[in-house]
Amino acid sequence: MTARNLLGLMLIAPAALAVAAPASAKDYLTIAQAQQVLFPGATFAPTAVTLTPDQIKRIRKQSGVRQREDKPRIWRAMKGGNLGWFIIDEVVGKHEFITYAAALSPSGRVIGIEILSYRETHGGEIREAAWRAKFRGKTLADPFKLDRDVPNISGATLSCRNVLDGVKRLLVMQQVALPAL
Amino acid sequence: MAFKIKTAGLALLAASAVAVSAHADENLFGYVQGSETLPKGALEAYGWATVRSDKGAGKYRATDYELELEYGVSDRFTASGALLLMSLDTSGLVIDGYLPGARDFAVKPTGLEVKGKYNFLSPAKDDIGLSVQASGEYLWIDPHSGQDKDTLSASVNVIVQKYFLEGQMIWAGNAGMEATYADRGEIANLPIGFDWPTDPEMEIELKAATALTYRFAPNWFVGGEALYETEFETEVGQERWSVFAGPTVHYGGPRWWATLSWMKQLRGGGERYAGQTDNDLHLIEKTKQEVRLKIGYNF
Repeated sequence: MTARNLLGLMLIAPAALAVAAPASAKDYLTIAQAQQVLFPGATFAPTAVTLTPDQIKRIRKQSGVRQREDKPRIWRAMKGGNLGWFIIDEVVGKHEFITYAAALSPSGRVIGIEILSYRETHGGEIREAAWRAKFRGKTLADPFKLDRDVPNISGATLSCRNVLDGVKRLLVMQQVALPAL
Repeated sequence: MAFKIKTAGLALLAASAVAVSAHADENLFGYVQGSETLPKGALEAYGWATVRSDKGAGKYRATDYELELEYGVSDRFTASGALLLMSLDTSGLVIDGYLPGARDFAVKPTGLEVKGKYNFLSPAKDDIGLSVQASGEYLWIDPHSGQDKDTLSASVNVIVQKYFLEGQMIWAGNAGMEATYADRGEIANLPIGFDWPTDPEMEIELKAATALTYRFAPNWFVGGEALYETEFETEVGQERWSVFAGPTVHYGGPRWWATLSWMKQLRGGGERYAGQTDNDLHLIEKTKQEVRLKIGYNF
Protein backbone atom coordinates (compact mmCIF):
# COMPACT_ATOMS: atom_id res chain seq x y z
CA MET A 1 0.00 0.00 0.00
CA THR A 2 1.55 3.29 -1.07
CA ALA A 3 1.59 6.48 0.95
CA ARG A 4 -0.82 8.07 -1.53
CA ASN A 5 -3.26 5.19 -1.13
CA LEU A 6 -3.08 5.44 2.64
CA LEU A 7 -3.78 9.16 2.68
CA GLY A 8 -6.71 8.64 0.34
CA LEU A 9 -8.09 5.93 2.58
CA MET A 10 -7.76 8.19 5.61
CA LEU A 11 -9.93 10.80 3.94
CA ILE A 12 -12.42 8.52 2.28
CA ALA A 13 -13.19 5.93 4.94
CA PRO A 14 -14.51 8.23 7.69
CA ALA A 15 -16.32 10.32 5.07
CA ALA A 16 -18.11 7.25 3.79
CA LEU A 17 -19.06 6.31 7.31
CA ALA A 18 -20.30 9.84 7.96
CA VAL A 19 -22.55 9.72 4.92
CA ALA A 20 -24.00 6.45 6.15
CA ALA A 21 -24.72 7.88 9.59
CA PRO A 22 -28.16 9.21 10.44
CA ALA A 23 -28.57 12.94 10.85
CA SER A 24 -28.01 13.92 14.44
CA ALA A 25 -28.93 17.61 14.71
CA LYS A 26 -31.33 18.42 17.49
CA ASP A 27 -32.98 21.83 17.51
CA TYR A 28 -35.24 22.29 20.47
CA LEU A 29 -36.43 25.88 20.27
CA THR A 30 -36.65 28.59 17.64
CA ILE A 31 -35.40 32.05 18.47
CA ALA A 32 -38.96 33.36 18.69
CA GLN A 33 -39.93 30.56 21.08
CA ALA A 34 -36.90 31.19 23.28
CA GLN A 35 -37.71 34.90 23.37
CA GLN A 36 -41.21 34.22 24.69
CA VAL A 37 -39.95 31.70 27.25
CA LEU A 38 -37.36 34.11 28.66
CA PHE A 39 -39.36 37.36 28.33
CA PRO A 40 -43.04 36.31 28.24
CA GLY A 41 -45.28 38.79 26.44
CA ALA A 42 -42.42 41.10 25.49
CA THR A 43 -41.68 42.64 22.12
CA PHE A 44 -38.17 42.48 20.72
CA ALA A 45 -36.12 45.09 18.87
CA PRO A 46 -33.04 43.78 17.05
CA THR A 47 -29.99 45.74 18.13
CA ALA A 48 -27.15 45.96 15.64
CA VAL A 49 -23.83 45.79 17.43
CA THR A 50 -20.42 45.53 15.79
CA LEU A 51 -17.71 44.86 18.30
CA THR A 52 -14.46 46.73 17.76
CA PRO A 53 -11.16 44.84 17.95
CA ASP A 54 -10.49 46.62 21.23
CA GLN A 55 -13.85 45.48 22.66
CA ILE A 56 -13.21 41.90 21.54
CA LYS A 57 -9.85 42.04 23.24
CA ARG A 58 -11.38 43.41 26.45
CA ILE A 59 -14.09 40.74 26.43
CA ARG A 60 -11.43 38.06 25.99
CA LYS A 61 -9.35 39.50 28.81
CA GLN A 62 -12.19 39.99 31.30
CA SER A 63 -14.07 36.76 30.60
CA GLY A 64 -11.10 34.48 29.89
CA VAL A 65 -12.59 33.08 26.68
CA ARG A 66 -12.68 34.10 23.03
CA GLN A 67 -15.46 36.29 21.61
CA ARG A 68 -15.79 34.54 18.25
CA GLU A 69 -18.34 36.81 16.57
CA ASP A 70 -17.91 40.53 16.05
CA LYS A 71 -21.63 40.89 15.21
CA PRO A 72 -23.48 39.19 18.07
CA ARG A 73 -27.21 38.57 17.66
CA ILE A 74 -28.88 40.84 20.21
CA TRP A 75 -32.45 42.02 20.85
CA ARG A 76 -33.77 44.57 23.30
CA ALA A 77 -36.77 43.13 25.19
CA MET A 78 -39.56 45.60 25.96
CA LYS A 79 -42.87 45.45 27.78
CA GLY A 80 -43.87 48.91 28.82
CA GLY A 81 -40.22 49.69 29.51
CA ASN A 82 -36.96 47.93 28.84
CA LEU A 83 -36.84 44.44 30.35
CA GLY A 84 -33.30 43.59 29.32
CA TRP A 85 -31.24 41.96 26.57
CA PHE A 86 -31.92 38.76 24.68
CA ILE A 87 -28.75 37.31 23.11
CA ILE A 88 -28.21 34.26 20.89
CA ASP A 89 -24.78 32.72 21.32
CA GLU A 90 -22.80 29.63 20.34
CA VAL A 91 -20.13 27.77 22.28
CA VAL A 92 -17.93 24.82 21.39
CA GLY A 93 -19.39 21.42 22.25
CA LYS A 94 -17.45 18.20 21.96
CA HIS A 95 -18.51 17.67 18.34
CA GLU A 96 -20.64 20.63 17.30
CA PHE A 97 -21.54 24.11 18.45
CA ILE A 98 -24.14 24.46 21.17
CA THR A 99 -26.63 27.24 20.44
CA TYR A 100 -28.27 28.89 23.42
CA ALA A 101 -30.11 32.06 24.36
CA ALA A 102 -29.41 34.21 27.39
CA ALA A 103 -31.66 36.83 28.95
CA LEU A 104 -29.80 39.56 30.84
CA SER A 105 -31.33 42.24 33.02
CA PRO A 106 -30.43 45.92 32.53
CA SER A 107 -28.34 45.71 35.70
CA GLY A 108 -26.22 42.81 34.42
CA ARG A 109 -27.94 39.85 36.03
CA VAL A 110 -28.83 36.59 34.30
CA ILE A 111 -32.60 36.22 34.00
CA GLY A 112 -32.37 32.78 32.40
CA ILE A 113 -30.93 30.69 29.61
CA GLU A 114 -32.50 28.34 27.06
CA ILE A 115 -30.76 25.69 24.93
CA LEU A 116 -31.77 25.96 21.29
CA SER A 117 -29.53 23.25 19.78
CA TYR A 118 -27.58 20.48 21.47
CA ARG A 119 -26.14 17.63 19.45
CA GLU A 120 -23.69 15.83 21.75
CA THR A 121 -23.57 12.20 22.85
CA HIS A 122 -23.75 12.94 26.55
CA GLY A 123 -25.21 15.67 28.65
CA GLY A 124 -28.72 16.18 27.30
CA GLU A 125 -29.44 17.12 30.93
CA ILE A 126 -28.18 20.64 30.23
CA ARG A 127 -31.62 21.26 28.69
CA GLU A 128 -33.31 20.38 31.97
CA ALA A 129 -34.88 23.28 33.82
CA ALA A 130 -33.17 22.39 37.12
CA TRP A 131 -29.70 22.72 35.60
CA ARG A 132 -30.48 25.92 33.70
CA ALA A 133 -32.07 27.43 36.81
CA LYS A 134 -28.62 27.47 38.42
CA PHE A 135 -27.73 30.37 36.11
CA ARG A 136 -30.58 32.58 37.32
CA GLY A 137 -29.37 35.66 39.20
CA LYS A 138 -25.70 35.25 38.26
CA THR A 139 -23.64 38.42 37.94
CA LEU A 140 -20.00 39.07 37.21
CA ALA A 141 -19.46 39.06 40.97
CA ASP A 142 -20.00 35.28 40.93
CA PRO A 143 -17.02 32.94 40.42
CA PHE A 144 -18.43 31.14 37.32
CA LYS A 145 -16.70 27.89 38.23
CA LEU A 146 -18.11 24.49 37.40
CA ASP A 147 -19.29 22.62 40.50
CA ARG A 148 -19.26 25.88 42.47
CA ASP A 149 -21.85 28.01 40.67
CA VAL A 150 -23.32 25.33 38.47
CA PRO A 151 -23.08 21.54 38.86
CA ASN A 152 -21.18 19.48 36.32
CA ILE A 153 -22.98 16.85 34.23
CA SER A 154 -20.94 13.66 33.91
CA GLY A 155 -19.89 12.97 30.35
CA ALA A 156 -20.65 16.54 29.30
CA THR A 157 -18.09 18.47 31.31
CA LEU A 158 -16.75 20.38 28.31
CA SER A 159 -20.27 21.43 27.26
CA CYS A 160 -21.15 22.54 30.80
CA ARG A 161 -17.93 24.51 31.16
CA ASN A 162 -18.30 26.21 27.81
CA VAL A 163 -21.92 27.23 28.42
CA LEU A 164 -20.92 28.59 31.84
CA ASP A 165 -17.97 30.47 30.34
CA GLY A 166 -20.18 31.66 27.50
CA VAL A 167 -22.75 33.22 29.83
CA LYS A 168 -19.99 34.99 31.72
CA ARG A 169 -18.64 36.29 28.40
CA LEU A 170 -22.08 37.69 27.52
CA LEU A 171 -22.26 39.52 30.85
CA VAL A 172 -18.84 41.01 30.10
CA MET A 173 -19.98 41.93 26.58
CA GLN A 174 -23.02 43.69 28.03
CA GLN A 175 -20.75 45.71 30.27
CA VAL A 176 -18.21 46.46 27.52
CA ALA A 177 -20.35 47.03 24.44
CA LEU A 178 -24.05 47.46 25.16
CA PRO A 179 -25.68 50.78 26.08
CA ALA A 180 -27.33 51.23 29.47
CA LEU A 181 -31.09 50.61 29.41
CA MET B 1 -3.35 -21.92 33.40
CA ALA B 2 -3.95 -20.72 29.86
CA PHE B 3 -7.44 -22.21 29.93
CA LYS B 4 -8.28 -20.49 33.21
CA ILE B 5 -7.13 -17.10 31.98
CA LYS B 6 -9.08 -17.48 28.75
CA THR B 7 -12.18 -18.47 30.71
CA ALA B 8 -11.85 -15.51 33.08
CA GLY B 9 -11.41 -13.11 30.20
CA LEU B 10 -14.40 -14.43 28.34
CA ALA B 11 -16.48 -14.23 31.51
CA LEU B 12 -15.54 -10.56 31.87
CA LEU B 13 -16.50 -9.87 28.26
CA ALA B 14 -19.81 -11.63 28.76
CA ALA B 15 -20.50 -9.68 31.95
CA SER B 16 -19.74 -6.44 30.14
CA ALA B 17 -21.99 -7.39 27.27
CA VAL B 18 -25.10 -7.68 29.41
CA ALA B 19 -24.56 -4.39 31.22
CA VAL B 20 -27.14 -1.78 30.30
CA SER B 21 -26.38 1.73 29.21
CA ALA B 22 -26.81 4.18 26.39
CA HIS B 23 -23.65 6.24 26.14
CA ALA B 24 -20.23 6.14 24.53
CA ASP B 25 -16.80 7.60 24.78
CA GLU B 26 -14.52 8.13 21.85
CA ASN B 27 -10.88 7.87 20.89
CA LEU B 28 -9.64 10.99 19.14
CA PHE B 29 -6.39 9.24 18.24
CA GLY B 30 -5.39 5.86 16.94
CA TYR B 31 -2.52 5.24 19.38
CA VAL B 32 -2.49 7.95 22.02
CA GLN B 33 -5.01 7.63 24.84
CA GLY B 34 -7.15 10.47 26.14
CA SER B 35 -7.72 11.03 29.84
CA GLU B 36 -11.51 11.10 29.87
CA THR B 37 -13.56 8.26 31.28
CA LEU B 38 -17.09 7.15 30.60
CA PRO B 39 -19.91 8.43 32.79
CA LYS B 40 -21.21 5.97 35.36
CA GLY B 41 -23.32 3.28 33.76
CA ALA B 42 -22.25 4.11 30.19
CA LEU B 43 -21.24 1.33 27.82
CA GLU B 44 -19.39 1.51 24.56
CA ALA B 45 -18.20 -1.01 22.01
CA TYR B 46 -15.06 -0.64 19.92
CA GLY B 47 -13.74 -2.42 16.91
CA TRP B 48 -10.11 -1.92 15.98
CA ALA B 49 -8.09 -3.11 13.03
CA THR B 50 -4.36 -2.43 12.71
CA VAL B 51 -2.46 -3.37 9.59
CA ARG B 52 1.29 -3.76 10.14
CA SER B 53 3.17 -4.11 6.90
CA ASP B 54 6.61 -4.11 5.26
CA LYS B 55 9.74 -5.30 7.00
CA GLY B 56 11.95 -4.22 4.14
CA ALA B 57 12.34 -7.71 2.65
CA GLY B 58 10.03 -10.49 1.56
CA LYS B 59 6.35 -10.12 2.28
CA TYR B 60 4.93 -9.28 5.69
CA ARG B 61 1.41 -8.18 6.46
CA ALA B 62 -0.17 -8.71 9.86
CA THR B 63 -3.58 -7.41 10.80
CA ASP B 64 -4.51 -7.13 14.46
CA TYR B 65 -8.13 -6.89 15.53
CA GLU B 66 -9.53 -5.88 18.87
CA LEU B 67 -13.16 -6.18 19.94
CA GLU B 68 -13.67 -4.27 23.13
CA LEU B 69 -16.43 -3.39 25.55
CA GLU B 70 -15.92 -0.52 27.96
CA TYR B 71 -18.10 0.26 30.95
CA GLY B 72 -18.31 3.28 33.23
CA VAL B 73 -18.11 1.77 36.72
CA SER B 74 -18.20 5.26 38.19
CA ASP B 75 -17.80 8.73 36.74
CA ARG B 76 -14.07 8.39 37.33
CA PHE B 77 -13.38 4.70 36.72
CA THR B 78 -13.83 2.84 33.46
CA ALA B 79 -13.27 -0.89 33.03
CA SER B 80 -12.99 -2.77 29.77
CA GLY B 81 -12.40 -6.21 28.34
CA ALA B 82 -11.22 -7.09 24.85
CA LEU B 83 -10.85 -10.09 22.61
CA LEU B 84 -7.73 -9.92 20.44
CA LEU B 85 -7.44 -11.52 17.02
CA MET B 86 -5.02 -11.43 14.12
CA SER B 87 -4.29 -12.60 10.63
CA LEU B 88 -0.85 -12.96 9.10
CA ASP B 89 0.60 -13.37 5.65
CA THR B 90 4.38 -13.55 5.49
CA SER B 91 6.76 -15.22 3.08
CA GLY B 92 10.24 -14.78 1.67
CA LEU B 93 11.59 -13.53 4.98
CA VAL B 94 13.39 -15.45 7.73
CA ILE B 95 14.64 -13.63 10.83
CA ASP B 96 16.77 -15.74 13.14
CA GLY B 97 15.16 -16.04 16.55
CA TYR B 98 11.98 -14.23 15.52
CA LEU B 99 10.46 -15.27 12.21
CA PRO B 100 11.10 -18.92 11.30
CA GLY B 101 9.49 -18.78 7.86
CA ALA B 102 6.41 -18.39 5.76
CA ARG B 103 3.08 -18.27 7.55
CA ASP B 104 -0.36 -17.52 6.21
CA PHE B 105 -3.51 -17.73 8.28
CA ALA B 106 -6.86 -15.97 8.36
CA VAL B 107 -8.32 -14.21 11.38
CA LYS B 108 -8.11 -16.19 14.59
CA PRO B 109 -8.25 -15.35 18.32
CA THR B 110 -4.87 -14.64 19.84
CA GLY B 111 -5.50 -13.20 23.28
CA LEU B 112 -7.53 -11.37 25.87
CA GLU B 113 -7.06 -8.04 27.56
CA VAL B 114 -8.58 -6.30 30.57
CA LYS B 115 -8.12 -2.62 31.33
CA GLY B 116 -9.06 -0.10 33.97
CA LYS B 117 -8.71 3.68 33.75
CA TYR B 118 -9.06 6.04 36.70
CA ASN B 119 -9.47 9.76 36.18
CA PHE B 120 -7.84 12.04 38.77
CA LEU B 121 -8.29 15.40 37.02
CA SER B 122 -10.79 16.37 34.34
CA PRO B 123 -9.39 18.17 31.28
CA ALA B 124 -12.55 20.25 31.03
CA LYS B 125 -12.85 21.14 34.71
CA ASP B 126 -9.24 21.32 35.85
CA ASP B 127 -6.23 22.96 34.24
CA ILE B 128 -5.13 19.63 32.81
CA GLY B 129 -6.65 16.16 32.67
CA LEU B 130 -4.87 13.29 34.37
CA SER B 131 -5.69 9.58 34.32
CA VAL B 132 -3.87 6.36 35.02
CA GLN B 133 -4.63 3.24 33.04
CA ALA B 134 -3.61 -0.27 34.08
CA SER B 135 -4.03 -3.33 31.92
CA GLY B 136 -3.34 -7.04 31.82
CA GLU B 137 -3.02 -9.06 28.64
CA TYR B 138 -2.70 -12.73 27.85
CA LEU B 139 -1.66 -13.85 24.36
CA TRP B 140 -1.30 -17.41 23.17
CA ILE B 141 -0.04 -16.46 19.69
CA ASP B 142 3.09 -14.43 19.00
CA PRO B 143 1.93 -11.25 17.22
CA HIS B 144 5.14 -11.09 15.17
CA SER B 145 5.63 -14.62 13.89
CA GLY B 146 2.15 -16.06 14.39
CA GLN B 147 3.72 -19.02 16.23
CA ASP B 148 2.54 -20.46 19.55
CA LYS B 149 3.78 -18.33 22.41
CA ASP B 150 2.24 -17.71 25.84
CA THR B 151 2.67 -14.10 26.87
CA LEU B 152 1.50 -12.44 30.06
CA SER B 153 1.80 -8.66 30.22
CA ALA B 154 0.97 -6.03 32.79
CA SER B 155 1.17 -2.36 31.94
CA VAL B 156 0.55 1.04 33.42
CA ASN B 157 0.03 4.23 31.44
CA VAL B 158 -0.08 7.80 32.71
CA ILE B 159 -2.33 9.96 30.54
CA VAL B 160 -2.51 13.74 30.42
CA GLN B 161 -4.84 15.79 28.26
CA LYS B 162 -5.30 19.50 27.72
CA TYR B 163 -8.03 21.47 25.97
CA PHE B 164 -7.15 24.57 24.00
CA LEU B 165 -9.47 27.07 22.26
CA GLU B 166 -12.41 25.99 24.46
CA GLY B 167 -11.91 22.38 23.36
CA GLN B 168 -11.54 22.95 19.64
CA MET B 169 -7.91 21.83 19.88
CA ILE B 170 -6.89 18.92 22.09
CA TRP B 171 -3.48 17.70 23.16
CA ALA B 172 -2.77 14.39 24.87
CA GLY B 173 0.42 12.81 26.17
CA ASN B 174 1.08 9.30 27.46
CA ALA B 175 3.97 7.69 29.34
CA GLY B 176 3.83 4.01 30.11
CA MET B 177 5.61 0.83 31.01
CA GLU B 178 4.80 -2.79 30.23
CA ALA B 179 6.33 -5.87 31.84
CA THR B 180 6.05 -9.12 29.90
CA TYR B 181 6.65 -12.77 30.66
CA ALA B 182 6.86 -14.87 27.50
CA ASP B 183 7.22 -18.59 26.90
CA ARG B 184 7.55 -19.91 23.34
CA GLY B 185 6.31 -23.25 22.17
CA GLU B 186 8.51 -25.74 20.33
CA ILE B 187 8.49 -25.66 16.53
CA ALA B 188 9.15 -28.74 14.45
CA ASN B 189 11.28 -28.65 11.28
CA LEU B 190 13.05 -25.38 11.97
CA PRO B 191 15.61 -24.27 9.39
CA ILE B 192 19.07 -25.66 10.15
CA GLY B 193 20.88 -23.47 12.65
CA PHE B 194 17.76 -21.41 13.39
CA ASP B 195 17.68 -20.13 16.95
CA TRP B 196 14.25 -20.43 18.59
CA PRO B 197 14.71 -20.20 22.37
CA THR B 198 11.96 -21.89 24.37
CA ASP B 199 13.17 -20.77 27.78
CA PRO B 200 10.87 -18.21 29.39
CA GLU B 201 11.98 -14.59 28.97
CA MET B 202 11.16 -11.30 30.63
CA GLU B 203 10.83 -8.01 28.79
CA ILE B 204 10.16 -4.44 29.85
CA GLU B 205 8.84 -1.92 27.38
CA LEU B 206 8.76 1.83 27.89
CA LYS B 207 6.49 4.08 25.84
CA ALA B 208 6.00 7.80 25.42
CA ALA B 209 3.52 9.35 23.05
CA THR B 210 2.07 12.71 22.15
CA ALA B 211 -0.76 13.83 19.92
CA LEU B 212 -2.57 16.98 18.88
CA THR B 213 -5.85 17.32 17.04
CA TYR B 214 -7.97 20.21 15.81
CA ARG B 215 -11.69 20.30 15.06
CA PHE B 216 -11.70 21.90 11.62
CA ALA B 217 -15.43 21.40 10.99
CA PRO B 218 -18.35 20.19 13.10
CA ASN B 219 -17.73 16.53 13.99
CA TRP B 220 -14.36 16.38 12.19
CA PHE B 221 -10.90 16.44 13.72
CA VAL B 222 -7.53 16.23 12.01
CA GLY B 223 -4.22 15.92 13.77
CA GLY B 224 -1.05 13.98 14.26
CA GLU B 225 0.49 11.64 16.77
CA ALA B 226 3.96 10.36 17.57
CA LEU B 227 5.02 7.29 19.52
CA TYR B 228 8.38 6.29 20.99
CA GLU B 229 8.81 2.72 22.20
CA THR B 230 11.80 0.86 23.53
CA GLU B 231 12.11 -2.65 24.90
CA PHE B 232 14.64 -4.23 27.22
CA GLU B 233 15.07 -7.98 27.40
CA THR B 234 16.90 -10.22 29.85
CA GLU B 235 19.68 -11.39 27.52
CA VAL B 236 20.34 -8.56 25.09
CA GLY B 237 19.62 -5.42 27.11
CA GLN B 238 17.97 -2.83 24.87
CA GLU B 239 16.42 -5.02 22.23
CA ARG B 240 14.77 -2.30 20.17
CA TRP B 241 13.58 1.25 19.96
CA SER B 242 11.45 3.02 17.39
CA VAL B 243 9.76 6.31 16.66
CA PHE B 244 6.51 6.25 14.73
CA ALA B 245 4.58 9.34 13.67
CA GLY B 246 1.77 10.19 11.32
CA PRO B 247 -1.55 11.89 10.69
CA THR B 248 -4.89 10.99 12.17
CA VAL B 249 -8.43 11.89 11.18
CA HIS B 250 -11.45 11.48 13.44
CA TYR B 251 -15.20 11.72 12.98
CA GLY B 252 -17.39 11.90 16.06
CA GLY B 253 -21.16 11.96 16.22
CA PRO B 254 -23.73 11.31 18.91
CA ARG B 255 -24.16 7.64 18.02
CA TRP B 256 -20.78 6.52 16.79
CA TRP B 257 -17.27 7.64 15.97
CA ALA B 258 -14.37 6.53 13.79
CA THR B 259 -10.64 7.23 13.83
CA LEU B 260 -8.12 6.44 11.14
CA SER B 261 -4.37 6.76 11.77
CA TRP B 262 -1.35 6.11 9.64
CA MET B 263 1.92 5.71 11.46
CA LYS B 264 5.23 5.52 9.67
CA GLN B 265 8.42 4.40 11.37
CA LEU B 266 10.75 7.39 11.20
CA ARG B 267 13.72 6.03 13.11
CA GLY B 268 14.54 2.87 14.94
CA GLY B 269 17.38 0.85 16.32
CA GLY B 270 18.50 -2.04 18.45
CA GLU B 271 18.67 -5.49 16.92
CA ARG B 272 18.67 -5.87 13.14
CA TYR B 273 18.15 -8.96 11.07
CA ALA B 274 20.82 -10.37 8.76
CA GLY B 275 20.59 -8.66 5.40
CA GLN B 276 18.49 -5.74 6.64
CA THR B 277 19.06 -2.79 4.32
CA ASP B 278 17.14 -0.08 6.19
CA ASN B 279 19.66 0.46 8.95
CA ASP B 280 17.88 3.38 10.55
CA LEU B 281 14.79 1.35 11.38
CA HIS B 282 13.88 -1.49 13.70
CA LEU B 283 12.22 -4.11 11.51
CA ILE B 284 12.36 -7.30 13.55
CA GLU B 285 9.38 -6.71 15.81
CA LYS B 286 8.16 -3.58 14.04
CA THR B 287 7.25 -2.79 10.46
CA LYS B 288 7.79 0.26 8.32
CA GLN B 289 4.22 1.40 8.72
CA GLU B 290 0.97 0.77 10.53
CA VAL B 291 -2.57 1.80 9.67
CA ARG B 292 -5.22 1.68 12.37
CA LEU B 293 -8.97 2.09 12.05
CA LYS B 294 -11.11 2.30 15.17
CA ILE B 295 -14.86 2.45 15.25
CA GLY B 296 -16.91 2.99 18.38
CA TYR B 297 -20.65 2.63 18.76
CA ASN B 298 -23.02 3.95 21.39
CA PHE B 299 -25.84 1.62 22.25
